[in-house]
Amino acid sequence: MVWAIGGSEAQVGGVHQTVAEMWSEANPDNPIRIEILPEAADEQREQQALDLQAEAGGFDVLGVDVIWTGEYSENEWLESLEDIRGDIEAVTLPGPFETGIWGGELWAAPYNSNAGFLYYRTDLIDTPPTTWEELCQMAEEAGGAEGIAGFVGQGAQYEGFVVNWLEYYWGLGGELYNEDQSEVLFDVDLATQATEFMADAVNGCYAPGFNTAMEEEARNEFQGGNAVFMRNWPYAYSLIQEDTGSPANESFDIAPLPTFTGQGTISALGGFNNAVSAFSNNTEAAKEFVLWAATDPEVQSTLATEASLPPTMASVYDDLADDPVMSLLGEVLSEAKPRPPAPQWNEISVTMQRALYPAYNGEGDPRSAAEEVLAFLEGTVGN
Amino acid sequence: MSDTAPAPVEEVTRRGQARKNRRQGGVVEQRSTLQVWGKSALLGVILLWCLFPFFWLIMTSLKMGDRALNSPNLFQGPFGLQNYEAVFGQNFHLNLRNSFVIAGATTIICIVVGSLTAYAIARLPLKRKILLLSGVLAVSLFPPVALVPPLYELWRNLGLLNTWEGLYIPYTAFTLPLTIFILMTFYASIPKDLEEAARVDGATPFQAFLRVILPLAAPGVFAAAIIIFVLSWNEFLLANTFAPRNAEIAQTVPVAIAAFTGAVPFQRPIGTITAACVIVTIPMIIIALIFQKRIVAGLTAGSVKG
Amino acid sequence: MADTQIAPEPGTRAGAGPGGPRAARRKGLSERALARVFVAPSVLLMALVALFPVIWAIVISLFLYTRRQQTGFGGLENYTDALTSGRFWDSVWFTFVFTVSSVTFEFLIGLGFALLMNQAFRGRGITRAAILVPWVIPTVIAAQMWFFMFNVTPGFINNLLGLGNFNWLGQPGWPIFAVVFADVWKTAPFVALLLLAGLQTIPGDVYESARVDNAGMFQRFWFITMPLLKPAILVALLFRTVDALRVYDLPAVMTQGAFGTESLAILVREFVVRTPNPGFGAALSTLTFILVLGIGMIFVTLLGRDLVIGTEGEE
Repeated sequence: MVWAIGGSEAQVGGVHQTVAEMWSEANPDNPIRIEILPEAADEQREQQALDLQAEAGGFDVLGVDVIWTGEYSENEWLESLEDIRGDIEAVTLPGPFETGIWGGELWAAPYNSNAGFLYYRTDLIDTPPTTWEELCQMAEEAGGAEGIAGFVGQGAQYEGFVVNWLEYYWGLGGELYNEDQSEVLFDVDLATQATEFMADAVNGCYAPGFNTAMEEEARNEFQGGNAVFMRNWPYAYSLIQEDTGSPANESFDIAPLPTFTGQGTISALGGFNNAVSAFSNNTEAAKEFVLWAATDPEVQSTLATEASLPPTMASVYDDLADDPVMSLLGEVLSEAKPRPPAPQWNEISVTMQRALYPAYNGEGDPRSAAEEVLAFLEGTVGN
Repeated sequence: MSDTAPAPVEEVTRRGQARKNRRQGGVVEQRSTLQVWGKSALLGVILLWCLFPFFWLIMTSLKMGDRALNSPNLFQGPFGLQNYEAVFGQNFHLNLRNSFVIAGATTIICIVVGSLTAYAIARLPLKRKILLLSGVLAVSLFPPVALVPPLYELWRNLGLLNTWEGLYIPYTAFTLPLTIFILMTFYASIPKDLEEAARVDGATPFQAFLRVILPLAAPGVFAAAIIIFVLSWNEFLLANTFAPRNAEIAQTVPVAIAAFTGAVPFQRPIGTITAACVIVTIPMIIIALIFQKRIVAGLTAGSVKG
Repeated sequence: MADTQIAPEPGTRAGAGPGGPRAARRKGLSERALARVFVAPSVLLMALVALFPVIWAIVISLFLYTRRQQTGFGGLENYTDALTSGRFWDSVWFTFVFTVSSVTFEFLIGLGFALLMNQAFRGRGITRAAILVPWVIPTVIAAQMWFFMFNVTPGFINNLLGLGNFNWLGQPGWPIFAVVFADVWKTAPFVALLLLAGLQTIPGDVYESARVDNAGMFQRFWFITMPLLKPAILVALLFRTVDALRVYDLPAVMTQGAFGTESLAILVREFVVRTPNPGFGAALSTLTFILVLGIGMIFVTLLGRDLVIGTEGEE
């Protein structure tokens, strides 16, 4: 069988290879090997799309980003996983489980998850903030005193920006759609507020490179000691911890992201699921594999212990409660919100980027940008 | 005439200063002290402009560890060859082999086929040349990204995916226009009576082309060869679509580099990327050094007239 | 002269030259036949590989799609959608501005490089190789390198020039400059190479006689070099222009198309790959193609007159 998955962990020595080996040892008559796709999610999708569109059947199992479920299912590229749904649902955290569902059916089995953290400097901040306004204020004060910038996140014009913006918008109590994406619940006022917050912060607590930063730029700024706060995925934790030359090395910690209401926490849900190609010649075995990867405790804890990839299986978090990253993840994942796995998500994301990015950079009006997004979202409900 | 060693010639100018004139390959050069200094300064600026980023690449490729790699300071260590080890550990030498074969095949086929076509359009009787030229040009103009889906289908059906031919055939097709245009300008600059003269001596048109005209177009041929080679080598879109993985088969260098990953997700492996870039640039420079001599060989039409 | 030759190959005719009695001994193809033989392989290869996808794309552009599903025949609807879209015209504008600026600077700098590379001086081999280095670096790496250099963090260029936190890539107006700068750095050597080769076609004695006539350096350059270099200049401008009109990597990597740097190629790729709508993407491609071909034709007709007019009469 062929497993099309990408990124650093798919390389030789990575955790996905370990998982593939675990399966192949236990199932010598049906081994699985990895076709290594590139790191960038967009490119993974491109390469998978080439095979799937041609109905070539070169891939049996696909590593799909949580936001592709609707698109892949609409294109009839996937096998339905309804018959193994029950087993998976029983052991998986609800948020990640939702990301594999489209049209009420399960199309992709959970594999690993991701959620945003707030990283902060413990030598400059005593208790992490619970609201964004508080964060901005603390950032400016502490940063000003230390001579460094306040806050870094992902602000360049790409999907990561939409993730950051949604975390503000959701933190205000905003929603995009209702449960089954049949109704638009987008609130223009809250959206405007979120965008205005960002626009103010650009001149305030945001670091200078905020609007061209992706994950790596943000991490380098924080790790280099140039920012008080950072919003990033868990991957940065071990990197900062191992970097003894970093000013943040001994004096940083992680906390849940703040909201605007001060209650709870909101972060965007990321991660990857495993789906079965509709053109595979080995459907039964492939389904077995994705079921196993989602429900086997050994696999799921290996993801955590070997690669710090957040597992989707709830019980693993209890076992690993000692690890700071895992314990925070356990806390945050229950309140993490997925982006709608709708087939139109790409279009929606691009529309949001094109409208909201200029708006927060002073090139457009936040309210009209929000209205533009609303108009687009309403157009999608008809489909 | 141009084969003799350059001989210094003294000349007294209007200002009464003696200047040395040297002839080298048809280009006459004059030097005065001021000009020499000015030229050296200009040369320095140009070298800095061209090579400074490359210097950055080399320095970055030698750095180890996150701290160094992301620092604006060029000289912040620690330094080591770890990145180069990592690059070769990923079968990069196979990528080099693939790229070399594919670019080489493209260059040879393009030059052979393109020379003939360019000569025909420039010097032989053909109807509707402008139309033909426009057609030739049009071939290379359509946005490649839109050509990819149908070509992928066709290639898959022909079994050309993940093969060398699957790449050098389209590369040749898309690089022929540039080749033809470059070589055309060369053929056009050769005096027209040469073919007549050859014919008087009993040569067929083909022999006239092969023995008389082609050697004179050598500088153009070598210039075109470098260009074709480098363009094919650096081509990304088609290579990424037709042979995206599997260095042991046909994955080329740019595709391999773009697929490098860091140690953890999201991490941009700038160390290995720059190391690969340095590894790749050095043979290209060597090839360029070899070819550039042939471009500026300096024979040219001057000697033919004599 | 009458055709007295009994040729072994049926298609052969004596050429239109002063054959004389030697025509009887001549074998091989005539010029006309030779021309066809020479041109055939190119045309065949190009037609096979390029013609089919282009026709396919044009046909697809006539259909409507919702994401990847075909929903019916649209005729020219995709085209009207594109032509009435602000996004399309924004990207045309940027592509034009980019092309004009980068080609201009690449030409000027490339010409300077070529003149320099043509000189004889110590270390000229190294200089010529050094000048080619920027062009030889793969574009994907060059794009990342320039992003890294221009970006506020870690702020390499800012550090070098003492500019503090100047946001090259994140404020209006400057990203275009950064992208043009990176492109000029990378591609001026290509122009230089073409012009250098062109310079070789200028015979040395032309300069000699000019010098005898006391023509100064500038006059020699303007009245001899430039006119004789015209074909090479036109080819360089032609190919640089059509390539610049299709720029993708530099703006995509450096700015993701933000702040008005979304080129036509980025837009096309958006609708072919990122938010796929095959019909619309194909329509955008065809529009780009028409635009680029139109501009290219201008150069071709200019070139054609120069290169081809001499043999036109022999038909």
